[in-house]
Amino acid sequence: MTVKELNKSKTPIVKINKTLDKLATKVLFPEKLEDANRNLKTTGLPKTKSSNHR
Amino acid sequence: MKNQKYQLESDRSLLLFEFVSLGPKGRIVKIVQYTETNLKNVYNLGFGDKNEKTGEISDLVITNNGDSRQVLATVASTVYAFTSKYPDAWIYAKGSNNARTRLYRIGITNNLLEIKKDFEVFGLKDSQWHNFRKGIDYEAFLIKRKKQ
Repeated sequence: MTVKELNKSKTPIVKINKTLDKLATKVLFPEKLEDANRNLKTTGLPKTKSSNHR
Repeated sequence: MKNQKYQLESDRSLLLFEFVSLGPKGRIVKIVQYTETNLKNVYNLGFGDKNEKTGEISDLVITNNGDSRQVLATVASTVYAFTSKYPDAWIYAKGSNNARTRLYRIGITNNLLEIKKDFEVFGLKDSQWHNFRKGIDYEAFLIKRKKQ
């Protein structure tokens, strides 16, 4: 990939930082996760265009 | 998103991202975490500030560092990075309060044409998911990358 292509890419360049591995194992936003679980339990998932083709 | 973005760092699994907001309030470390919910392949997007002195992470802090567009664009770019590794994942996003959920909605609205090229976007209203439409107050959002 050229520098021009890289700059136009929507996927960002991400620097891997191994010191973040430990932090990633913890749930940092437990209240948000609980809220998501509560809502998703009620709503489930919507049908997507791709799931309609299955 | 068309705005400038901050440089991202991530853990090796691309589930946790960190970047530094720079503005009048100084240097503020931001954390974005994707955590799997009770539904397989559905991830909650958590976003907050890290206190560099205490290590405490909170999504309730009001930063006012004058760079909210750049911060939001950087959070949006983590969605691209995350779904490049987990293309079948759904992302559930909701602000820590109504104002922040509204900010997410504005961010999606302002970039809807671009986002819809790559993602399916849904908004939660009255306990049901709807295809995202401009001008509607949603309680939460679900995003899924379109198959290439």
